[in-house]
Amino acid sequence: MSATSNPSPDPQIFDSLRLELRRGCLIVAVLAQLRAEHYGYTLRKALADQGLAIEESTLYPLLRRLETQKLLTSQWREEDKRNKRFYKLSPEGELILAQLLAEWNSINDSVNTILQHSDQR
Amino acid sequence: MNPTSNLLARYLQAIGEHLPAATRDDMLAELRANLQAQLDDRAEELNRPLTDPEVAAILKEHGRPILVAARYLPQQYLIGPAIFPYYLMTLRKAAPFALLIIFLANCSNLLFIHTFPELIAGILRALGLLIPDLIMFAAWLTGAFVIAEYVYTRNHAKPFNASWDPTKLPAIKPQFKGKSRASRIADLIFHCFWIIYILEIPSHHFLILGPSELYLRRLAITFAPIWHTYYVFLLVLLAVQLVTKILALNPTFDRLQSTFDLVTKLVGVASTAFLAAMKTYFVASGPAANQATLAAVNHGIGIAFRIVLILTVIDLFVEAWKLFRPSLRSKGLAF
Repeated sequence: MSATSNPSPDPQIFDSLRLELRRGCLIVAVLAQLRAEHYGYTLRKALADQGLAIEESTLYPLLRRLETQKLLTSQWREEDKRNKRFYKLSPEGELILAQLLAEWNSINDSVNTILQHSDQR
Repeated sequence: MNPTSNLLARYLQAIGEHLPAATRDDMLAELRANLQAQLDDRAEELNRPLTDPEVAAILKEHGRPILVAARYLPQQYLIGPAIFPYYLMTLRKAAPFALLIIFLANCSNLLFIHTFPELIAGILRALGLLIPDLIMFAAWLTGAFVIAEYVYTRNHAKPFNASWDPTKLPAIKPQFKGKSRASRIADLIFHCFWIIYILEIPSHHFLILGPSELYLRRLAITFAPIWHTYYVFLLVLLAVQLVTKILALNPTFDRLQSTFDLVTKLVGVASTAFLAAMKTYFVASGPAANQATLAAVNHGIGIAFRIVLILTVIDLFVEAWKLFRPSLRSKGLAF
């Protein structure tokens, strides 16, 4: 009798799905992290320190896009003898973040319920 | 200028070439501050200034300049996701008609060709022109949809979705079940009668000419010798068809039926091409024949055969497309 083994999933499919899953979460994380003021590099470090590594080439354009959407405010300021652009969550961003977190929790609860039901079967 | 700032400046300059002028300086200043902070951090970790390769490694990790710049720009596409399905649908639906029209246009000069080699060369030339003409058609269609996309995004319009109504969807298509055994037997019987009819023609010309046989006899016109050659060709074709129709009675040959049909059509095209290339279909059977009438009749029949040839070639391609489409589709070569 031959042993049947599970076929190994395609890593490219996982990477693509992981990217999709992370995309929305990253925005929530960035907005939440910017309740305190940061410039690009320190924001990236802060996120990475909390387990959410994000590429510079993704983060820096994202900050600009969120600012264009008026969810962030920014200002150039000198720190350590260098000019840096500091970002902070705007009042509008606060409201959107609250809505996103409510949505996040709702999705999380639903997925947990689905998982519990499927485990019981 | 130290190596760090030199490499960084070159990197930023390369990115700047792909950024819009209005925001370029601001974007580059921010990027410089972030990258400089990263380089400073790394130097602090190593407790020494960074070497050129170390700076290059950090910049390489940050990404190729053109791609880094692209991320700062809004998403760009010639045909966006809202329009693309309509573009693909139009391409699929229009391509067969475009193929047909292009082929017919390319075949128009076949009507004025007189020799068999020229005829074959003309058909091959018409087929050869299909691909570049089809590419040209696709290019024009793509151009039209690029303009549609431009208008759509500029006006923030919803051009196609508003009129959609689920109740207007087409009815469910009946599933194709193939020919029944009874219809295959009937087909075989009909084919046998058809062979008997063809076999009787040499001794009874009226079977093919009808009352006009008397008219031709009065004009002193009769069949040209070419028909004797063609007659043998026709009998071979009928015999091949007879074999395939007998084989078709056995369900194990079901899968081969389309191939049989295609081969039969191919032989049919070859025989039509043979006839189309001939100049003389009727000859004088006596001195009373009017040569001008004879020439006009032969010319008319020649043109008719060429038109039939073009139609049979198109039919052959349609059948071949139907036969090979599923396997091409599975290989991603057809839609």
